[in-house]
Amino acid sequence: MSLASQRLSAFCVLIALGAGGGLVPSSAVATVEEIALMNRPDRQKILIEGAKKEGKISWYTTLIVDQVVRPVKDAFEKEYPFLQVEFFRGNAERLVQKMFAEYQAKRYDVDIIDGTVSPTMVRRAGYLQRFSSPVLAEYPADLKDPQGYWGTTNLYFFATGYNTKMVKLNDVPKTYEDLLNPRWKGQMMWSTSRGSGAPIFVGTILNTMGQEAGKAYLQKLKAQNIAKSSASNRQVLDLTIAGEYPLALQIFNHHAYISKTAGAPVDWMPHEPVTATIQTMALAKNSPHPHAAMLLLDFAMSEKGQKVFQQSNYLPSHPKVPAKQIDLKPGGGKFKRAYYINPDAQYDKGNEWVDYFNNVFMK
Amino acid sequence: MAKQTSSGAYNLPIKSADASAARRVFRFRSLLRFDAATGVMIGVSLVTAYLVLPPLYSVIQTSLFTTKLTGEIDEFTFRYYQELIRELQVVGPFLNTIYFSAGSALFATLLGGSIAWLVTRTDTPLRGLGYFTAFASFGTPFILYTIGWLLLLGKAGPVNFWLKTVLDQPGPIINIYSLWGMIFIESLLWSPFVFLMLAAAFRSMDPSLEEASAVCGARVWQTMRRVSLRLMLPAFFSVVLLIFIRSFESFEIPALVGLPGDIRVLTTSIYLDAQKLPPRYGSAGAFSVLLMFVVAGTLYLYFRVTREGDRFHTITGKGYRPALIHLGRWRYLAGAGLLAYALVLLVLPFLIILWASLLPFYMQPSIEALSRFTAKNYVTAIHFPKITDSIKNSILLGLGSASAVMALTLLASWLLVRTKMRGRWLLDLLTTLPLLFPGIVMGLAILRFYLFVPIPVYGTLWILLIAFVTRYIPYGIRYTHSGLLQLHRELEEAAYTAGATWSNCMRRIVLPLVTPSFLGGWAFIFLLSAKELSMSVLLVSPQTPVVSVAIFELWENAQVGELAAFGVIWTVILVSIAVIYYLFARRYGVQQS
Repeated sequence: MSLASQRLSAFCVLIALGAGGGLVPSSAVATVEEIALMNRPDRQKILIEGAKKEGKISWYTTLIVDQVVRPVKDAFEKEYPFLQVEFFRGNAERLVQKMFAEYQAKRYDVDIIDGTVSPTMVRRAGYLQRFSSPVLAEYPADLKDPQGYWGTTNLYFFATGYNTKMVKLNDVPKTYEDLLNPRWKGQMMWSTSRGSGAPIFVGTILNTMGQEAGKAYLQKLKAQNIAKSSASNRQVLDLTIAGEYPLALQIFNHHAYISKTAGAPVDWMPHEPVTATIQTMALAKNSPHPHAAMLLLDFAMSEKGQKVFQQSNYLPSHPKVPAKQIDLKPGGGKFKRAYYINPDAQYDKGNEWVDYFNNVFMK
Repeated sequence: MAKQTSSGAYNLPIKSADASAARRVFRFRSLLRFDAATGVMIGVSLVTAYLVLPPLYSVIQTSLFTTKLTGEIDEFTFRYYQELIRELQVVGPFLNTIYFSAGSALFATLLGGSIAWLVTRTDTPLRGLGYFTAFASFGTPFILYTIGWLLLLGKAGPVNFWLKTVLDQPGPIINIYSLWGMIFIESLLWSPFVFLMLAAAFRSMDPSLEEASAVCGARVWQTMRRVSLRLMLPAFFSVVLLIFIRSFESFEIPALVGLPGDIRVLTTSIYLDAQKLPPRYGSAGAFSVLLMFVVAGTLYLYFRVTREGDRFHTITGKGYRPALIHLGRWRYLAGAGLLAYALVLLVLPFLIILWASLLPFYMQPSIEALSRFTAKNYVTAIHFPKITDSIKNSILLGLGSASAVMALTLLASWLLVRTKMRGRWLLDLLTTLPLLFPGIVMGLAILRFYLFVPIPVYGTLWILLIAFVTRYIPYGIRYTHSGLLQLHRELEEAAYTAGATWSNCMRRIVLPLVTPSFLGGWAFIFLLSAKELSMSVLLVSPQTPVVSVAIFELWENAQVGELAAFGVIWTVILVSIAVIYYLFARRYGVQQS
């Protein structure tokens, strides 16, 4: 942010304080809970007035800064020029540990935290605040928390990536059963990552095929000698593009699409039902800037904010906002059914899936 | 004041008439010196204890208690130790771990040691290349270096392609995803460390001992084996110990190289365990506590061996600059060896990374790929959030931690080598322990400590500096300890006799004479801290970004090309600094001694 615009926003704050100072009702002393659950006609006005005094937001994010955090920050700050978004990016585990350590020391820096599983962990520790936002009404039930602890910003769909120079479209495995074909023995790779690798695959199979049939399937899959890597699924896909392994299991479909657009010999194939994880966003219990934080939550999940996700090549979760490349979302032509893994289920069952993966595929 | 003559010997301005007075003064001064030593001992021990004990406590606590979701201590348990013992009984992973660590320690020492000998002791052409290669290869981000090798030696990589063509075989010849592949990459990664330490030791060799051996009719090789190498025992011990331990407990190479080939080591299951939620670090804690006992035992034995320090003195009052060995015709072969080392350690992995950074997506080297060259990845890298701040912070941290560690450990080593205080091997142990702390556990320990202790460093660069200094003390101590062991007591005594104060003596005698080890250690820690990740990811704040975390972000989320472009930029910056530093060191430091 340039000095000039900093001065400008400081000026705006001053004007706002001068003009609105006397008009702000008793909400100045409202608790985080009252602000978060506020449901009255002048909600927006109160939030803006409160946010002007707060001036900034601290967002702990697992999203990629370069690709989506900065565009969202820029669009939001354009909407509310008196606010500055500060973010701290890290993977779910690190973010949560940092927040827990801070809360135990009674240091309340964070307003917003996001992730596919991190908000659930924070909620279990009792450090989340329920909130209500008018935009949540526009979302289906499986994309928001029934008690109002989280909403969603974007979706991730898993697929099999393949090297188009090594595998012809006709030969690409189309179903989960096709992966058992002996010709793929030793030809596939997947990531061991808990949140976006093999354990999620295990979870989907066990949940959608049922325990018994699922386990029988996974035992057969084990015989395919899938190579494992601790690298992320993005790196596994890059190894497939490099020709190391013709097939990359459990990669994000939009990653394959982005590389394909750049000219890489790669494409993706869904297996129905397609596994999906959801990126959730939540409010910290002792948020130091609750008015501003509510404005950011509203914005990120609104159609306007969702368009920013769309333009960043992310897959918006708002039902009315399609993906930029339409077939990346269900109903876009390439696949119909998605199996959304609820963050609570992912947290509760995740360890079992990791254990199952370790016991079956690592021996 | 003692003055160095051109021959390297010292002229001591003491006249015989003043002898008895001088003796009295000397006795008085040695009393003073004792006080100075005690003072230093107390100071160094306090600082070291302050840095090392809180994380040590955390590691032990982690290994003995389960934790709640929030990370608070829950119940006492021996579970992690029981699991570890069960794991140790599985023969496969245990043997793999031993092969991997011993193999890496052996190969790295052999490789780095040979290069160090060629560079410092022989008339091989292109000797300067040795230093450059060591610095430069160490400047490459670790993850990228490994990826570079995987791309080079992978099934579809250029090496296998050429071998297949030449040997006319259908399948890939080299399997990098194997125990040998792991040992190969790990040894390459560690060989610059060996080089820097052994080059310092070779430089400080006493030629008279070798000459005596030669006079007695020994051949070059016999002299090497029976004289030179034995004199360097402390330095050898240091490199073998450090590499063995670091490989034993390493996650990265086993996970990236071993895992795809189903080579399991002891840390593989710990690595996968740590993925669980809430995170479980108990197994990692128990593993490091177990290693602590092994290392304590080893250090105690080492201490017994080097207690008779006189056996390792090579720098005495006499001129000690070792003579160069003339290799004759062999020198061209040796020069070719140096070139090959530079090629394998530095040029090949760097080229493949550079290659990847110029492509929109990774393609095997080919003419067709050339037409796709693009600067897009560099544009992305340059626009990475706060990149200038990250680079500035990383360089500041490198300078700070290298200087602080080397200063602290030089004093600590001086105490270990020069004084006869009882239990000083405990100081040695204390300074070695951080080597064994799992990075993530140590990072959490420091994070919690400074959130609760009212010292306002949380969220600043200071907390990172404290963490880095603690983490790298073990490397500093090994460099300075092996350097000081070579230094004969008589030089310092001469200085005291001539009326020097303790600090004068340290500054004007000890420091200049251990310069090669000191500077080697400094450079190593500088480059190492630029890579530190496991603690940084927890300790950075939005205001204090560092490069290694940025690289990790790219590693987790970006395409290979973007990661490579960022890596190339950073490598070039680090190497430039290393070269400036080397030129500076050569002019003002190394040659002066």
